[in-house]
Amino acid sequence: MTGEVYPDWEAVYRDNVDRMYRLMFAKVGNRPDAEDLTAEVFVAVLRPLRVSASVGEVRAYLLATARTVLAEYWRRTLGREVTTLVDEHTETVFADPPAPSNAPRRIAVILSALPDQYRRILELRFLDSYSVREAAAELGVSVANAKVLQHRALRRAAQMAQEVDQ
Amino acid sequence: MTGRGLLRYIEDLLRGNRPRPFRAEQTDVAELRTAIELRAARPGSGVPREEFVTQLQQRLATELADTPTWGATRIVGTRRQFGKGAAIAAAAAAVGAVVDHTLTAGRSDAGPETGHEANTLTPTAGDWRTVAASEQLPDGAVRAFDLGTIVGFVHRTDGVARAVSGSCTHQGCRLLLDATTRRLDCPCHTTVFAVTGEPLTHQLPITPPPLPQLVTREVNGAVQVYAPPAST
Repeated sequence: MTGEVYPDWEAVYRDNVDRMYRLMFAKVGNRPDAEDLTAEVFVAVLRPLRVSASVGEVRAYLLATARTVLAEYWRRTLGREVTTLVDEHTETVFADPPAPSNAPRRIAVILSALPDQYRRILELRFLDSYSVREAAAELGVSVANAKVLQHRALRRAAQMAQEVDQ
Repeated sequence: MTGRGLLRYIEDLLRGNRPRPFRAEQTDVAELRTAIELRAARPGSGVPREEFVTQLQQRLATELADTPTWGATRIVGTRRQFGKGAAIAAAAAAVGAVVDHTLTAGRSDAGPETGHEANTLTPTAGDWRTVAASEQLPDGAVRAFDLGTIVGFVHRTDGVARAVSGSCTHQGCRLLLDATTRRLDCPCHTTVFAVTGEPLTHQLPITPPPLPQLVTREVNGAVQVYAPPAST
């Protein structure tokens, strides 16, 4: 598998574009930026790539480029490195078939540790695409309360996430 | 105290919009990271749009047309410049080596920010003037236009067409569209604006104001802006 080479750049692209997009989406959380960053990686990578590079080498190069592209994105937008790709490895990012992500389990752990109302508002807004108005109606609180609830819940969840990481 | 920039960023994430940059504090990072992680867990999030995958492949084909080594498809066409992309690839080996950007100071969150209304260009006497056919402006697209009296850029995001002035708010140089990064570059002082008008990066002592918005509408398959009539 490691010695295999791609027949042409289109094969490089087709084989890796989905996984690169998924990787970027997990790091920026929105489609427009995930698309731009995915495009940036492929545009940067394909021209300097040697035809004889093995599949493994191509993927390592894709991931290295993605790291730099993501770091530059944060520098340019928020001035803080909110997410990185330093802990990602070529084998897991490009595993075939895709490696099961531990993200759902992590999120379940974080959410389950929150007070009920906190957990509910985050589920409704982040996972179920409810607007703040719809979420407020669902929870039986005012819109203003729902906003405050969401801010507090997110702050609490961020603290839980840091504890889970340690 | 939670800053407005952070709240707006999270609201953009939830709505599926491109989040607007702000000057983040170190204390914002954990919340931002968790918000992104939660948002990315929404069902269907990690799957790219088919349209995007196809369009990017076409774009790459165009860019690689003069690189014979990857020769399966040779499409004759104008090759877009992408100096920055090559630079990033070259720097990729050295982790952390990135293009040096000056972080924009961002708009002050202190003042009364009434959205775009305060910054909308409304001529005393104007006409609705067509700047693009609707079909020329798919979601995510940006196009330059020149009406003689006004130059600008029209873009479509989440289905809605909007337009901004194409003159830099610093000293009036005409902005250039970098289609690959979807940004507006000022040739005079390397200032960069988002297509929505916000200043992104600059090397000026003071952050230039955002680009004026133009009143935009869409009727009968045409995207129109309200602009001064053409000089005769």
